[in-house]
Amino acid sequence: MNIINRIKNNVLLFLVIVIYLLMIIFIPIKAKESFFNSLYYIKEMLMIMPVILLLTSLIDTWVPKRTIESMLGENSGIKGIVFSFLLGSFSAGPIYAAFPVCKTLFKKGANILNIVIIISAWAVIKVPMLANESKFLGIKFMLIRWILTSIAIIIMAVITSKIVKKDEIFINNKEENKEGKLILNSKYCIGCGMCARKNPEIFIMKNKKGVIIKNIEKKESNNLIEEIIDNCPAKAIEFH
Amino acid sequence: MVTDFCLIISYYKNKRKKGDFMDIVTILLWIITLSWFIYSIKKDKKKTFNSVKTSSKLMKNMIGEIIAILMLIGIILSFIPPEIVKKYLGDSNIVLSTIIAAIVGSITLIPAFVAFPLVGSFIDIGANIIPIVAFLTTLTMVGFVTFPLERKEFGFKFSFVRNILSFGFAIIIALLMGVFY
Repeated sequence: MNIINRIKNNVLLFLVIVIYLLMIIFIPIKAKESFFNSLYYIKEMLMIMPVILLLTSLIDTWVPKRTIESMLGENSGIKGIVFSFLLGSFSAGPIYAAFPVCKTLFKKGANILNIVIIISAWAVIKVPMLANESKFLGIKFMLIRWILTSIAIIIMAVITSKIVKKDEIFINNKEENKEGKLILNSKYCIGCGMCARKNPEIFIMKNKKGVIIKNIEKKESNNLIEEIIDNCPAKAIEFH
Repeated sequence: MVTDFCLIISYYKNKRKKGDFMDIVTILLWIITLSWFIYSIKKDKKKTFNSVKTSSKLMKNMIGEIIAILMLIGIILSFIPPEIVKKYLGDSNIVLSTIIAAIVGSITLIPAFVAFPLVGSFIDIGANIIPIVAFLTTLTMVGFVTFPLERKEFGFKFSFVRNILSFGFAIIIALLMGVFY
């Protein structure tokens, strides 16, 4: 079972290994050539991966996300645009993690302009990703793409905020349940393992996702649980 | 034995063509990040290491995919002749190849992290950067697979408008990139 699960979690890797094994058996010269071709990219990746990991951690430690979030709002204007860019650029995780985060900010009063900028900046111009881009495609490539993308994001945000009105977003929004129990939305979980490290009695990691193993009612909530809910980078944990 | 030797030679030639392993940007990045890291440990050791643990876990989750894509690059480079790449992703048919690249990027879901070496390998064997930029931009900004999630949080209209605009602007960015780069 364990092996099947492992293959399931790494389908692509498994496929590539099978291809390599087949090549080694039938066309060993091609296998060698492929491996040597990859070697350059593997070495480059090893050069840049640790520094990206550190950079992501440092941003997580020192960028005051709460302060930035408090700068957003209905009439935040230019200031709101700048801080939305900063928030998106200094986040970690894939784009789908941006949705629940932005939804939370939206409930707190951020406007549509802010939301579009955060989602788009989160997707394309995260700082650690820029480092990776300049490594493999060159610094000039990275800089020009960054400038063009930033301009495009602002134009897109303005257009979206003209087309979509604020009340059109609240349509399928459920009322918050005060008596709810603790849930973890695995669709949004990015598998950082923060919850399981902070409270292993309630959270465990299973198949790269957090899972709740204990039934917690809202009234049983404590500071630690509130802290975990607050710190989840994908805002995937909540009382519902 | 002889083929081995030839491969090693071509590997080092390839390496030299692209410059040394440690280019200046990477060195600078290492210096800045390491100094920041040392400062960070001195200031708040616990918080720093907690963040390192979180990002290591994220990286660990991706490592299978990273290795897979890097090994796949080798296969692509040794099986797809540069002439084919030049023909379909090169300087002819730019409009068509850009639109196709943008569509492929919209429906693919691989981390941007591994997309850079992948598209870098395509540029190395002669692909035009315009379709490549379109692919990179839609890959991250347009989410066909994640559309249901986005719709659930923000409603159909917002998600639809955002994704369509992102697709359009990805192509515009790509074309401008062809002018400025």
